[in-house]
Amino acid sequence: MKVVTGVVGNDIHVVANRLIDLSLKARGYEVYNLGVNTHLEEFFDAVVETGAEVLMISSLNGEAEGWGREVKLLKSKYKNLDDVIMMIGGNLVVGSGNTEDIVARYKKYGFDLVCHQVDLNTGLDMLQSTIEERFPS
Amino acid sequence: MSLLQEEREIILSNEYVDSFDFAEVSEFVSNASKDLFISHHFAKREKMLVQPRGGFPTYQQQYALYEYFVDANVDVLPLTIDSNTRLNDYATAKKMLRLSEENDMDMLNGYPLVTHGYRTTRKMITHFDKPVSLRHGTPDARLLIETAIASGIFEIEGGPITYLLPYSKNFPLDKAFLYWKYVERVCANYSELNEPINRESFGPLTATLVPPSITIVIQLLEMLLSLEEGVKSFSVSFAQQGSMNQDIVTGAVLKKMAKHYAEDIDCGDAAINLVYHQWMGAFPTNQDFADQLINLSTVIASMVGADKIITKTRQEATGIPTKEANAKTVADTQYCLRILNGLPSVVDEEEEEMLTLQVKAIMEAVFNDPADTLWRKVFNSIKNGVIDVPFSPHIINQNEMITIRDAGKNIRIIERGNVPIPDRCYEYEKSQCDLSKDTTSIVNDIIHDIGIMQW
Repeated sequence: MKVVTGVVGNDIHVVANRLIDLSLKARGYEVYNLGVNTHLEEFFDAVVETGAEVLMISSLNGEAEGWGREVKLLKSKYKNLDDVIMMIGGNLVVGSGNTEDIVARYKKYGFDLVCHQVDLNTGLDMLQSTIEERFPS
Repeated sequence: MSLLQEEREIILSNEYVDSFDFAEVSEFVSNASKDLFISHHFAKREKMLVQPRGGFPTYQQQYALYEYFVDANVDVLPLTIDSNTRLNDYATAKKMLRLSEENDMDMLNGYPLVTHGYRTTRKMITHFDKPVSLRHGTPDARLLIETAIASGIFEIEGGPITYLLPYSKNFPLDKAFLYWKYVERVCANYSELNEPINRESFGPLTATLVPPSITIVIQLLEMLLSLEEGVKSFSVSFAQQGSMNQDIVTGAVLKKMAKHYAEDIDCGDAAINLVYHQWMGAFPTNQDFADQLINLSTVIASMVGADKIITKTRQEATGIPTKEANAKTVADTQYCLRILNGLPSVVDEEEEEMLTLQVKAIMEAVFNDPADTLWRKVFNSIKNGVIDVPFSPHIINQNEMITIRDAGKNIRIIERGNVPIPDRCYEYEKSQCDLSKDTTSIVNDIIHDIGIMQW
């Protein structure tokens, strides 16, 4: 299973990104890590290029909120991305907010899995369940 | 006219610079007070110099900060530069400075030195007559350091590796080497006029589980790149790592190796100083705990035998510190140093030997690179992972090395990647850690090891 991951926007917070990379590899995924400061177009281009089944975006400084709004519009410009599992995690707002509202908002932006301040391994367990549903073996 | 002088004239004929008078600046440096030169204070070796961090947008705020520091008995004043200037965006720095001045609100996270200019800033620096250290993080610092030296700032921090790998994703590393070569040459030339300009490398790097061998190698390489251009006073540095023993060993090996490699290129006449950074990782939010951590750092700096210590504040976890909090750390640190007497001498020969072997093996691999100049050898070594900095966001960094803490909280290499750690040392490093765990537990350990001082 191929995963494209990275930190969205002008966000240089690299520590979690490296740990996500390590953890995904430990779980047997083939990881394409775009690193920090990554723009949405770069994520979608990488998914097309690698044929990844999962796109996992992370954000620490909260600017994902701004980028999230553009996901649907941008995704519609690409072909064959409908089956890609779209996941986002980290600190998904600037300041604080109600988790339920945040999750609902990001689902509307087009994400299948939304992990706001969720422990890394819990998030990866959620991803595994979604993959099993989406691609039953 | 030399090529360097031609380049300087191009750099300084910038629309954001108010006519740079080369002759007047040379004359100023020639006649400048010895007290402005940190190299002069280092040479006296009277005490460990205490330097805080700090930079505010306006002249008045910076002046007020310095008054607080002087009252707290500071040894070295800092001038921390705002992030727009660091990225050569002088237009935004200018706009934000105006907004800060007009609205009584800080729109910059440091002092926009190029915008204020050297004529203005020099008045402040010469008024306080203390050495000032330039703290920035700029890959292309050519205009910035010209302005700094013209202002009377005779210590320049940074380097092509240490100011790039921790801070940038894709600024080209080869360009950074060339821009810093200019900095070294300008510092070397001015050093002939009066006391030497001191250059300082930024040892903390990402401040996230960087093993001492990588820290030391990068310190040595930036030192050599500087000395080979003629710099006569250089500070190698590192930050508190989490284990007192590992810090003492790191300090000892760094000092010995710096001397060894400087003599190797016939630069044994240059003064080499050791700088210690108080804990650079995540701080506790509890401000009383933060004070304890700061105090512990000062004790370790003394055990290490540092020539200068760079301080943090009790407000580290919450944002940019107030001038009061900043001055408090200076006073506390000076007090702690004054009462620290009769320190024991600690030597761990086995650890020193292991670390020395690692450093020498990596240095040898760098020198063996087939490129024709040192900077190209270093560039290639970073590109091919002979030098690998944990948690660097830069695309050129290999990111194959994995480190964790052992029971004594020493940073150990459990995956060396392409870094030529000798087998014997690699086995030793790994034997200190519990490697029977699965990767998920190790990732949890790493998260805990990074935040070691928060709980």
